[in-house]
Amino acid sequence: MNTFVSRFAPSSSVIPNSRGILADEEEEFSDLTWGSHAGFGNLGTKGIPTFEVPHLADPSAFLRMHTDDYADPNCRIKIQHGTTTLAFRFKGGIIVAVDSRATAGSYIASGTVKKVIEINPYLLGTMAGGAADCQYWETYLGIQCRLHELRNRERISVAAASKYLSNLVYSYKGMGLSMGTMICGWDKTGPALFYVDSDGTRLKGDIFSVGSGSTYAYGVLDQGYHWDLTDGEAQELGRRSIYAAGHRDAYSGNTINLYHVKEEGWDFIGNYDVTKMHYDGPGNVLGATGGGYGYEIRAAGRSASDADAIDTSA
Amino acid sequence: MFLTRSEYDRGVNTFSPEGRLFQVEYAIEAIKLGSTTVGIRTPTGVVLGVEKRVQSPLLESSSIEKIMEIDTHLGCAMSGLTADARTMIDHARVTSQNHAFTFDEKIKVESVTQAVCDLALRFGESMENEDAMMSRPFGVALLIAGIDELGPQLYHTDPSGTFVKYEAKAIGSGSEAAQAELQDKYHKSMEIKDAQILTLRVLKQVMEEKLDQHNVQLAQVTVERGFEILSDAQLKEAIDAM
Amino acid sequence: MADGHQHPIEHRFNPYAENGGTVLAIAGADFAVIAGDTRQTEGYSIQTRYAPKVFKLTDRAVLAVNGFQADCSEFVKRVMQRIEWYRHAHSKQMPLKAIARMIQTMLYGKRFFPYYTYNILGGIEEDGTGAVYSFDPVGSYEREACRAAGAASSLIQPFLDNQIYFKNQTPAPGAAPFVPGNLPIDVVLPIVIDSFTSATERHIEVGDGLEMFVVVAKGRDVSQLASLNAEEIPATNPGEERVFIVRRELKKD
Repeated sequence: MNTFVSRFAPSSSVIPNSRGILADEEEEFSDLTWGSHAGFGNLGTKGIPTFEVPHLADPSAFLRMHTDDYADPNCRIKIQHGTTTLAFRFKGGIIVAVDSRATAGSYIASGTVKKVIEINPYLLGTMAGGAADCQYWETYLGIQCRLHELRNRERISVAAASKYLSNLVYSYKGMGLSMGTMICGWDKTGPALFYVDSDGTRLKGDIFSVGSGSTYAYGVLDQGYHWDLTDGEAQELGRRSIYAAGHRDAYSGNTINLYHVKEEGWDFIGNYDVTKMHYDGPGNVLGATGGGYGYEIRAAGRSASDADAIDTSA
Repeated sequence: MFLTRSEYDRGVNTFSPEGRLFQVEYAIEAIKLGSTTVGIRTPTGVVLGVEKRVQSPLLESSSIEKIMEIDTHLGCAMSGLTADARTMIDHARVTSQNHAFTFDEKIKVESVTQAVCDLALRFGESMENEDAMMSRPFGVALLIAGIDELGPQLYHTDPSGTFVKYEAKAIGSGSEAAQAELQDKYHKSMEIKDAQILTLRVLKQVMEEKLDQHNVQLAQVTVERGFEILSDAQLKEAIDAM
Repeated sequence: MADGHQHPIEHRFNPYAENGGTVLAIAGADFAVIAGDTRQTEGYSIQTRYAPKVFKLTDRAVLAVNGFQADCSEFVKRVMQRIEWYRHAHSKQMPLKAIARMIQTMLYGKRFFPYYTYNILGGIEEDGTGAVYSFDPVGSYEREACRAAGAASSLIQPFLDNQIYFKNQTPAPGAAPFVPGNLPIDVVLPIVIDSFTSATERHIEVGDGLEMFVVVAKGRDVSQLASLNAEEIPATNPGEERVFIVRRELKKD
């Protein structure tokens, strides 16, 4: 509790003090860093991370100038960004589906990103926004959840875990963190889903989609969703929704990762290539209706690209 | 020892002319007032056992907690001022999680023991240091059991911040008789079940009350299952097998 | 005055430079290759023709760094220091995946004042397999079979996707399906050399020299390396993993 309060104390070390960087250097070489367990770097010994901040009047403007590739596509340090993620609650639990593309500017930095972060065997977090912000803070959330479990002899609720993350990122508000995440799990109240972002928003809900491709995903998701979906139907809806985003949004694509949160914990359902989904579909998996998702398939060649095949006599 | 008592037995950071730190020695004495705690290492795991002194029939014996989990691969049993052990075990838990966060691996048994001992030594820090909030040494000894890449291990820590690795160790009020018994009966190639039974036998020998499933607690760290406190049924089975 | 208003950026704190060059790493079943060119540039001038970008961290881990040279050398120094402290505290060599996680925390520790470095870590895991981890400047990381970073990354990565991941290739009729990450060392090293000679042809910031570090799992046959003029870097723990270095010249214009 004390450590929690000190996180929010006004003298928090993330705020640059009058000693500036020098103070941080001092800290770095104290015995906290290299003591007999070799230290945990900026984590200190109490497990509260501290960050070096440039000794400037407006450090976040500095960060924006060098790292924000939306504001300035020529910025030097290109931080990877994540894109389409979704999660929804239904009678069989929670479906979590994400794409795997990371972009740095217009370059596809990776097509194999794991945007579902396995916080622990019964909690999942998703990644949209800054890849490092999501990875780091959700891993950090994982150890805090474990400590909660050890101290209270009871698993943390999804509400509490998401609130912990929300409070955490809120304390860095305005400093340039970028994350939009969904915390998914099953606790005493049943399946639970929360949306948390770096502005400090925290929402409980049944359906969320986050990222540049979210509008396309919502389109498919909303028309196919109802509470009583079977497990197979729900998984297929998740796959199709991410496929739609991967197909229409240039910043999304490559592959789909699908997870299902159930009472006994989460299950990884599979990884699906978006291009393969377009032409062939997911193959013989639970919920698949057969055939590809692409409209060329459904038009069976009778499309504008093949005008001769269209019957105009009617 | 009490013959040489003088003004040197008050300060925690003042040596006596004979080179002794009396407060630390007294803290070690405090452990001998605690209930007996036994740990035994085998090739496949480590067994921890404690005596729960049920002082009153109105006391809920399940609320006495003398064996605690540090992480999935680490457990800890205590003897002495058990309230002090909470601070130490919380430190061990935080260290273990920090290690997992920073290095994506389980912390070694020796490393977590070292971390606990670092904390135990901090009574010597001056009070001007805002981090130093300790006025006296911890009055508790721990048996830290765990498994890492070096296999099952058992460590004993005391209030002086010293730690030593043991194959089998007893601490607390009955420790002298219990340690002699362990020395007599322990052998390196014990099965985990044998270690459970030996732990119970040793405890039985030094306990005033008749041993049953309400006044002892057993825990183990095994290669297959990690740390676990034995359930009432498992404990009863072990007692019956004894 | 007017000029000041037109280019306010000139007056801002800019502690970063871009020093060109490129690095890559490829993982095999029981080895990893980590390579980098040795040219260092600033703008259009070549500052030096030999500035190493690839560093041996332990007997089983090699780190390639690229971006702003000052940040790179500072970062490598700190990583080496942390690895040494870890060795003293835990009396063992830091495992590869532990180094990867530690690098994440070190990069993220400067989330608000980032190191301008792109890191690729290559080596041998505890289970004896070859591995490559790639990082963005603030610490997001991922284990992969191959990765190119730096000035010519967008020239080299698509080539590696094709050659290492077999992207856009179909096996000949009747042939076995492709399995990424299983290429032998005598196929991988020519791919690395071709990547750099080609990047040198088309990118002004790449060239001069090529250093390829090969980390080899315990007990693996290294006879293929001898024929490539590989030089062994003496190991701290003989009989475990081994690190070799293969040097080649690149064009100097």
